[in-house]
Amino acid sequence: MSVTPRSRTRPAVTRIIAGLMLAALLAAGAGCAAIRDDEGRPLNSLSPKGPSAQEIDDYIVQVFGVAGIIFVLVEGGILFMAWRFRHRKDDDGTMPVQTHGNFGLEIGWTIAPAVILAVLAVGSVRTIWDLEERDADALTVEVIGQQWWWEFRYDLDEDGTPDIITANQMVVPAGRMIDLDLKSNDVIHSFWIPELNGKKDAVPGRTNNWRLEADEPGLYQGTCTEFCGLSHAYMRAEVKALSPADWEQWLEDQQEPAEVPAAGTLAAEGYAEFQTLCASCHQVNGFDPDADPQETDGVPSPDYRAGNVPLAAGNAPNLTHLMSRNRFAGNLFPLYAENGEGELVPNESDLGDWLRNPVQKKPMAPDQRRGMPNLNLTQEQIDALVAYLVTLQ
Amino acid sequence: MALIEARTPLAIGTGEPARSNPSGVFARPTTAQTGWKSWLTSVDHKKVGIMYGIGALFFFFVGGFEALLIRAQLAQPGSRLLSADVYNQVYTMHGVTMVFFFVMPMAAAFINYLLPLQIGARDVAFPRLNAFSFWCWLGAAIFFNSSWFLGGGADGGWFAYPPNTSVTYSPGHGMDFYVFGLAIAGISSLVSSINLIVTVINLRAPGMTWFKVPVFTWMALVTQFLLAFSLPVITVALFLLGFDRNFGSQFFDAAHGGDPLLWQHLFWIFGHPEVYIIILPSFGIISEIIPVFSRKPIFGYPFMVFSGIAIAFMGFGVWAHHMFASGMGPMSVMAFSLATMFIAVPTGVKVLNWVATLYGGKLSFKAPMVWAVGTVAMFTIGGLSGITHSIAPVDYQHTDTYHIVGHFHYVIFGGGVLGLFAGAYFWWPKVFGWMLGDRMGKVHFAFTLIGLNMTFGAMHILGLQGMARRYFTYSDYQGFGFWNLIASIGAFAMGFGALLFAANVWLSYRKHKANPVELGPDPWDARSLEWMVPSPTPEYNFSEIPEIAELDEFWHRKYGHDEDHRAVRIAATEDVAQKPGATGIHLPSPSYWPIVLAAGLPLLAYGVMFHKERYSGEYTAWAIGVGLLGVIVIVAAIFGWVMEPSTDPEADGGHHDHDHDPADPSAAALEAPAEAEESGTAELAEGEPVAALAGSGAQASATSNEETTGE
Repeated sequence: MSVTPRSRTRPAVTRIIAGLMLAALLAAGAGCAAIRDDEGRPLNSLSPKGPSAQEIDDYIVQVFGVAGIIFVLVEGGILFMAWRFRHRKDDDGTMPVQTHGNFGLEIGWTIAPAVILAVLAVGSVRTIWDLEERDADALTVEVIGQQWWWEFRYDLDEDGTPDIITANQMVVPAGRMIDLDLKSNDVIHSFWIPELNGKKDAVPGRTNNWRLEADEPGLYQGTCTEFCGLSHAYMRAEVKALSPADWEQWLEDQQEPAEVPAAGTLAAEGYAEFQTLCASCHQVNGFDPDADPQETDGVPSPDYRAGNVPLAAGNAPNLTHLMSRNRFAGNLFPLYAENGEGELVPNESDLGDWLRNPVQKKPMAPDQRRGMPNLNLTQEQIDALVAYLVTLQ
Repeated sequence: MALIEARTPLAIGTGEPARSNPSGVFARPTTAQTGWKSWLTSVDHKKVGIMYGIGALFFFFVGGFEALLIRAQLAQPGSRLLSADVYNQVYTMHGVTMVFFFVMPMAAAFINYLLPLQIGARDVAFPRLNAFSFWCWLGAAIFFNSSWFLGGGADGGWFAYPPNTSVTYSPGHGMDFYVFGLAIAGISSLVSSINLIVTVINLRAPGMTWFKVPVFTWMALVTQFLLAFSLPVITVALFLLGFDRNFGSQFFDAAHGGDPLLWQHLFWIFGHPEVYIIILPSFGIISEIIPVFSRKPIFGYPFMVFSGIAIAFMGFGVWAHHMFASGMGPMSVMAFSLATMFIAVPTGVKVLNWVATLYGGKLSFKAPMVWAVGTVAMFTIGGLSGITHSIAPVDYQHTDTYHIVGHFHYVIFGGGVLGLFAGAYFWWPKVFGWMLGDRMGKVHFAFTLIGLNMTFGAMHILGLQGMARRYFTYSDYQGFGFWNLIASIGAFAMGFGALLFAANVWLSYRKHKANPVELGPDPWDARSLEWMVPSPTPEYNFSEIPEIAELDEFWHRKYGHDEDHRAVRIAATEDVAQKPGATGIHLPSPSYWPIVLAAGLPLLAYGVMFHKERYSGEYTAWAIGVGLLGVIVIVAAIFGWVMEPSTDPEADGGHHDHDHDPADPSAAALEAPAEAEESGTAELAEGEPVAALAGSGAQASATSNEETTGE
């Protein structure tokens, strides 16, 4: 028994609501396209650049699509109900039919979502297990997180000792799977390069295995994604994928020891300062203050100073080939900057600022043996050290 | 007032005088207490509920201020408003305060006040324990927030993962405040859960079988089971972390055979049911409001009940979806991903049932209904975004980013908090006897709705664009500036909305004082039993415990059906509702011991926390003294609690009304101040005959509902 006159206004408003729902869908679609643009957004998780990220992304599209449709239907339904059954001023004062429920509807809208989810689950399970696959020719890299930077170790000949130890920037060959062994020296961290794959935690006391692959040579930004204290926001990483020829060259370059600067240069003074002030934590392949003689072969020591490093994490970045990277201090500050003529030159200004007061540039707790202390260097010491550091190509 | 007083002897049945303090121990506070002091010793569930509400609202503003600090910091890249250390404290305290000291106690406020009324009882099963729960909670809240003044707030995140929260990496006392504060808060909720479960099982009015219990009470009951089974797990976790931090154990220290992931499992086995603890009361609230303002019953009542129960069961099986990236292995990841996906089914059933309740109704969009429908709409967004990351491979990208922060704020704030505000606007007249301004309530809603969508919608986008959580700042080149600015503006809009609520309370109260209007018991023409009693609720709740014949008993006394199954009025509200001014009803007596016992716990915690200098190993005398004092207070309070007389002797001596016949209205008018004049101040008037010997008056019918157990 219908009492509310509605035939005149209902089709128009129904069309308006349907129109709004369609507009919402189109806007969402446009938004989805725009959100894939990684211009100015180096950490965009929706612009996959490798097969792992691509597989996740293909699946994300399905899931968000389904969620989007359900969103439009349910919210549209709420809006429609709110409008259609609102109490009108010209109401005849009768009460609505006191419906208590409908068994069929209940069963229907229990089973239908379950079926939709079951269909989505198939893809989910497949993707979970696909991401566990490892290629036989994958390159293994050990990724070690500590407060507040990432270290990368390459054991190329698989003899149990790393041949290359580097920091902040993980250099890999493009088009080849990288098998990551994630570890931590202190608290839980998480390694994430959004354009190449999802993230995986680095947990102290265990090794978590993960994988990455970049389709093309390029730079891929990443960050720590498990709260690890003061500089969690500044614990960044970068993956640099190289063509096969460049990769071979990089391997060769990295396995050279650092050059000792010529005597009498400012860099030589800086090297002397480095040995007394910095070598207690930072390794430069070829020098170990505890060894006798202190000059060693150019191979990095995996247990540099065998635990006498005065840091809770027992490690500081290996600086042998510092200037081959893009950024320093947890991939935070640029190593190169444009000079007045537009050329890229070493960023001596930022390096000097860092040495002058590291704790002010990046929140750390050196009094608790976590992070780099302020060594209260004089300007002469800073100039000399910077002159030395920029020789570490 | 002396705790041990000389008393006139009790008169007991045989005529033999009895000692009023049989073991020489403390007497109960007299019911002659009035004013604010009576609230300290009250065991009345309604007073307890109001106190929970006031406390929770205070901490809403504390947590909200912390949120605005966060958003002010993140509005721009490279901001130095807050240092990293301070930011880490602010975001940790924001999370803990909002979850444990706002949402949970605000839900407790509603449950404490309404649950006994909805089941037709006079109070909960264990009234002193109920008061203790509140004071214990308040002690925890003050204790936890005192960290700001005693060395710094907790700074390890609300989830407190070791080793970052171990003493090596978090040497200050902030995380100790977390450990002990949450342990004490956990005691409060655990005790309350047992109390309420017994209440619902034992104290329902005659005729109220299980499927005549209102949906709000059902959801509250399910919440209590969730609390009872999940709180012990986090208590264990907190003990382990507390021992690691203070007594040198190594439960979470991998270098010595411990496992950091153990904490994660224990925390989330609590933490996931916790989010259902947060949302189910709000689900219950809107399940009461939507039918009232649609003028028809909730659609699918049995399915609403069963889906709530299903959510609770399944909620214990999905915890490791917080750990997809932790390295627990693909088998676990797959199992928890599948379980998490399917918990959407009962949740979706609820949403569809609310929408179906709207269908065919006559929807009146007063403030409670606006908030309730808004709750459904906003929760749906959060729920759908949740489904996207229930799928583990997708979550590998989403986890620990702002996409998750956006998701849970939609469900907790958009679902939980909007529901609580809906309840505030709905039940305000019942509690206080006057209405909150309706138009201002809608303006409050508008600011809140727009703000929350700006803030948490923007966060979904930020997460997809790669912004991780728990970052004190971000850099310009990362491209997060625009949506962070939008999010911050939205947060301030929500803050303004919250201030509007406070203004609404104040202005509406002033308006009521200037021009008091007798609201009557049922201003909304509602369905459940609490609307059958005067507004504000009399201290004794029901002058006569009702007999229940069906679900929505009160509604069915007002309305029958016509041949088309439409409701038709069969009785005026005044004829069906209960009248004020009943006398001769025995109620539980007030007691000092709940607040005293509650005071002992933080004292003990301060003592343990500060008893020894962490690095030098020196003992600190004052702290040991405080701790011992805490132990003494706890032991004395338990002793006093157990040994105090079961009822207040003064109440009988001063207000013995054997002489008056409660059926005689003139005598009732003489003895009792009209309950209806208690316009929201809830003071016990001098000489009010609250308690009497059982056996006088019509209330002595042999039902177990009147007598509260455990007293």
